[in-house]
Amino acid sequence: MQSITAALRSRAAALTLLAAALLGPVPGHAQLRLDITQGVRDAVPIAVVPFGGQADGGAADVAAVIANDLRMSGRFAPLERRDLVARPTSGAEIRYEDWRLLRSDFIVVGRVEPDGSALAVSFELHNVRTGASLLAQRLPSTDKGLRATAHRIADLVFERLTGIPGAFSTRIAYVAVDGRPPAQRYRLIVADADGYNPRIILESREPIMSPSWSPDGQNLAYVSFEGKSSAIYVQRLASGERRRVSARAGINGAPAWSPDGRKLALTLSRDGNLDIYTLELATQTLTRVTSDEAIDTEPEWSRDGQSLYFTSDRAGNAQVYRVVLDQARKAERVTFTNAYNARPRVSPDGKELALVTLDRGGYRIAVMDIASRNLRVLTNARQDESPSFAPNGALVLYATRDRGRGSLAIASSDGAFQQRLSSDQGDVRDPAWQPFAPRG
Amino acid sequence: MPGFFQEHLRPLAGSAGLHLGLVALLGVAALRWTSSQPPVELAIQGYVVDAPAPAGPLPQPRSAPAVQPPAETVKPPEPVAEPPQEQRAEEAAAAERATAAAREQRQLEERAAQEREAQLAREKAAAERRLAEEAERKRAAEADAKRKAAEDAERKKAEAAEARRKAEAQAQAEREAKSRAERESDLQRRLAAEEETAALARSGVMDEYRALLVQTIERNWIRPPSARAGLQCTLYVTQAPGGTVVDVKLGACNGDQAVRESITNAVYKASPLPAPRDPRAFERRLEIVFQPTE
Repeated sequence: MQSITAALRSRAAALTLLAAALLGPVPGHAQLRLDITQGVRDAVPIAVVPFGGQADGGAADVAAVIANDLRMSGRFAPLERRDLVARPTSGAEIRYEDWRLLRSDFIVVGRVEPDGSALAVSFELHNVRTGASLLAQRLPSTDKGLRATAHRIADLVFERLTGIPGAFSTRIAYVAVDGRPPAQRYRLIVADADGYNPRIILESREPIMSPSWSPDGQNLAYVSFEGKSSAIYVQRLASGERRRVSARAGINGAPAWSPDGRKLALTLSRDGNLDIYTLELATQTLTRVTSDEAIDTEPEWSRDGQSLYFTSDRAGNAQVYRVVLDQARKAERVTFTNAYNARPRVSPDGKELALVTLDRGGYRIAVMDIASRNLRVLTNARQDESPSFAPNGALVLYATRDRGRGSLAIASSDGAFQQRLSSDQGDVRDPAWQPFAPRG
Repeated sequence: MPGFFQEHLRPLAGSAGLHLGLVALLGVAALRWTSSQPPVELAIQGYVVDAPAPAGPLPQPRSAPAVQPPAETVKPPEPVAEPPQEQRAEEAAAAERATAAAREQRQLEERAAQEREAQLAREKAAAERRLAEEAERKRAAEADAKRKAAEDAERKKAEAAEARRKAEAQAQAEREAKSRAERESDLQRRLAAEEETAALARSGVMDEYRALLVQTIERNWIRPPSARAGLQCTLYVTQAPGGTVVDVKLGACNGDQAVRESITNAVYKASPLPAPRDPRAFERRLEIVFQPTE
């Protein structure tokens, strides 16, 4: 007994010395250390409770707009309205246990109130698991502006829970085609990001193609055949005022705005085959960029404005190339993975390209990391086209054709999810997502 | 002229004779007065010199103040007048005597009065001295009492401080003894726990438990897009027996708000955490490090 105690003492002393030497302050108790290296890409369950001061349903149902935005992002799974167990309209009324039982992680509550002759919308975002209040704001609104206010709330909630600014308040442009040849009707449409409030920008019996947003989101450049041959127009959305900037012999196509808004890159066939040019808008100065015998088209500016990405079949099939504007005619190929890669669009952070790739027999939307050339296929239909990044980079808008009829769809840029946007506007194609308005 | 002399010789002679006789008589009388009469006591001019009234604080001399002896001054004898006529002289002498007696009487009375005053003054001075001495004694006694009280207080303070010091020293000693004992028992506990842990580790139970916990939390972690490679966030989690998560504290974390929200929720959503196959492998405190690979 004596010797055991003594041995224990000496070991204890040794342990103390060791602990003091290695650990500094000795923790009171042992801890089990766990290393978490993986997570899931599931949609985050969230409850968006109908806002007080509003009847359920209707186009201005604020909670429905928010829930739909969040669902559309693919990152959230809003609780179905029929599953709501209570209808709190302020943080103080939330009983967290109820929502935990429904396995919601977060909850959005709020109310619409008269504010003088206008309206005000108050909302709060709470963490159901911890009970923490994460957001609480009051936004001015109007009867007509309620959907816009709801999109704004969705933006704030999205940013608070994903770390990415929401893009639900931005708009999209696309072309809708009605009727059968030869009695077709083309319309250039600008709508809210969720497809609501479509507004016709241009209507024509001749084809309209390739809308492209100016960097400030105030102008659209597009191709119109209204004069029986192709021409490029620039139109100011607020006033409707427009001007023709290129109507050269042959094809005038695929306009793309430079990051500083002063130039367009475009495709012209005036020298025999399709090549890439830049056009300075103020001076009408035209500069040829490529002069290959192959088809070069679909130009896209790099974020620094120093180079252009474009599609070329110079290697026998379509691939994406890049040319530095100072060193024209020395284009380098950037896509190698599949037999067909076309229609490049640069991500907002400039690090990725969205493109159409021929993947296992289908034309699909993919995102390629420019540095690593790693290609991530986002969709799985047979005929997807015209990818366009959301201004926050989280989503890619594209057109998908099914039995000859096109519709709009959205994929999350990590490939976790896709969703088709319902449309009653016929054959829809060539979508383009508006950039964020410049801050300040 | 001789005629006149002659004529008046007789009365002149007679008058001269009378004068001579008177002078002779006066001379005798004067001789007798000066020799046989007892010398008249002369008035004594004396002053009692009062000690100055005690003014202000004394130190009073202990001995009585020396009383100044009465100063005696002798008046010089009156110049002897020309011997009057005998009768007049008699009367004058008598009057002189009466006056002298009266003067003497007055002087006596004055002297007595002076002595009474002196006595009174002495008594007053003595009384004042007594009062002063009394006051002095009282002051001294009070000062003494004060000093004693101060000394008492000082002593008591010192005693209290000493008592406190002793109590503190004892408490310190007890604390040290207690913490020593705690350290020792803690060490022994830890040693025992370490041995148990080592045994569990050898049996694989610990690895299995860890894997089970990791799997459960990973399944509940909805990774936000901002959770990329390079992220490292630590949670300190306390679970109750039975696996209920009772506390989640965020440690060092280089992730944004979305990441923090997501990892905290992952742990809460995984609650109750799975139990180990061997209950001895249960650990209340977990340190969970979120370190995603791309």
